[in-house]
Amino acid sequence: MSAVWHVDATALAAYAEGRCTPVAGASVEAHLMRCRSCTAGLRGLMPEEPVERAWRAVRAHVEEPRAGAIERLLRLVGVSAESARLLGAVPAFQGAWVLGLFSITVFAGVAAVFAGDLGMSLFLIVAPLAPVAGVAASFGGDADPAHELEVATPYSSLRLLLLRTAGVLATSVPVAMLLGLGLPGPAWLAVAWLTPALTGIAITLALSPYVGTTTTAAVIGAAWSLGVLMADRAGEPETVVEPAMQLVLAALAVIALVHLVLNHPTLDPAGRNS
Amino acid sequence: MNTVALSGVGKSYGRNTALADVTLDLGPGITGLLGPNGAGKTTILRILATALAADQGTVRIMGEDPRSLTGRTTVRRHLGYAPQETGFPRGFTAFSFIDYLAILKEWSDAGTRHEEVRRVLELVDLADVAPKRVGALSGGQRRRLVLAQALLGRPDLLVLDEPTAGLDPAQRGRLRDVLGQAGESATVVISTHQTEDVAALCERVIVLDRGQVLFDGRIVDLVSEAAGRVWMSDTRQPTAQYAWRTGTGRVRNVGDPPPDAELIEPALEDAYLLLVGDAADDERLESAS
Repeated sequence: MSAVWHVDATALAAYAEGRCTPVAGASVEAHLMRCRSCTAGLRGLMPEEPVERAWRAVRAHVEEPRAGAIERLLRLVGVSAESARLLGAVPAFQGAWVLGLFSITVFAGVAAVFAGDLGMSLFLIVAPLAPVAGVAASFGGDADPAHELEVATPYSSLRLLLLRTAGVLATSVPVAMLLGLGLPGPAWLAVAWLTPALTGIAITLALSPYVGTTTTAAVIGAAWSLGVLMADRAGEPETVVEPAMQLVLAALAVIALVHLVLNHPTLDPAGRNS
Repeated sequence: MNTVALSGVGKSYGRNTALADVTLDLGPGITGLLGPNGAGKTTILRILATALAADQGTVRIMGEDPRSLTGRTTVRRHLGYAPQETGFPRGFTAFSFIDYLAILKEWSDAGTRHEEVRRVLELVDLADVAPKRVGALSGGQRRRLVLAQALLGRPDLLVLDEPTAGLDPAQRGRLRDVLGQAGESATVVISTHQTEDVAALCERVIVLDRGQVLFDGRIVDLVSEAAGRVWMSDTRQPTAQYAWRTGTGRVRNVGDPPPDAELIEPALEDAYLLLVGDAADDERLESAS
């Protein structure tokens, strides 16, 4: 028999609407694979909107590239996809930087545990300066390659700065704190470096509209390292984080933060003459 | 109401005056900024894009003063800006770069944001390279990527610094189409060295030189200023401001004609060259006297 069989209109309509039994559906599908006329008929019966939506979803899935490793890691620990992307744009959250800072902090921490005063000095230099360097590498023209584009968007400069600073603290502080627990000497040494770290961050942010974060962080880093090394030569590196120094550093941090809050419009280049 | 109103605007970088007493009103349509290097085009565009504050004068964009935080935030919600040069975050793909800017432009819903990202990538013919890293794209593709982010959300004010630089003729043609459509409802300001782009796209042209406005008006009016000053001849006129041998073998003289010259219709480029050349002559005469 040479007559060509085609799916009848009722069965085709039922298939298009998803009302076929599995067996009938499989039979229609097998026929559709080799019959252009029935495929064309089916196209006319398919409601356009869901097809369009499905096609968009498929394209979206195929075209949207996977986020980078750090972005995925941030999302794993509960950071929203948007915040992870805003963090992932700057060097402070890119693989080489994070790994580098992590290695230096671990090295300094291990040295402090096993290498006496010199190791302690190394730890007291590295632990507070690691988050300062992270902040310097996460905000402002020095760190943002696309800064010129970012400033012309409505996203608040202060909000972006706080988000990235929080991100830097969350990634760098816990490691140094854990290592600090193993330090010889009094227990408070484990957290004593936090005040100079916060002071360094506050000064870097407060001066960023005028000097740039990299320069400020470099000067702070040099000054702090010099202070620790001088204390080390005197035989007691811990003196840089003793209570009197903590008070001085905390006062500096408060001044810098008040300045930052009062002058936060100057974080935005268009706000510098107002 | 005009979208942009600048009045007596000045800007200096140290001792260098980039803009001196510039007054402009801009409304919907495409306006071209022409001028030699250092004329102040980029400075004006950065002020319009709220990336730079003016030292003097008043700036109103959509009725808002960009010196106030609320004013510039309002402006930025309606702004698309493509600077002449920008860097790109390391490791970002074309898609994630545009997505990043879309997040900063307050597209909080991921579904609609991603759809918008795909729309603008398609507009500049970059949909195919969406998953590629920006570092692997060609110079022309990166340029179009910067333009794509400016088109996010169909802005009311589009500020584009040298948008056609580095694009091949086909890409420039496509971009003209995109900008032409945007200019039907939005205020589009472009700076360029390409007079043919201005002639092809803009209703209005502003010629800047050393921080001042030399001409502000319709293209046809600028071209008509060169009427009677452009000549074709077989020989070069030494006193012509500009003269060059064309592909036909004859010499195009802009300015004074040689004896055997034939007067021809001026093009926008001729008018621009004469305007900037005359201004430089005036300057020389003034400083000599």
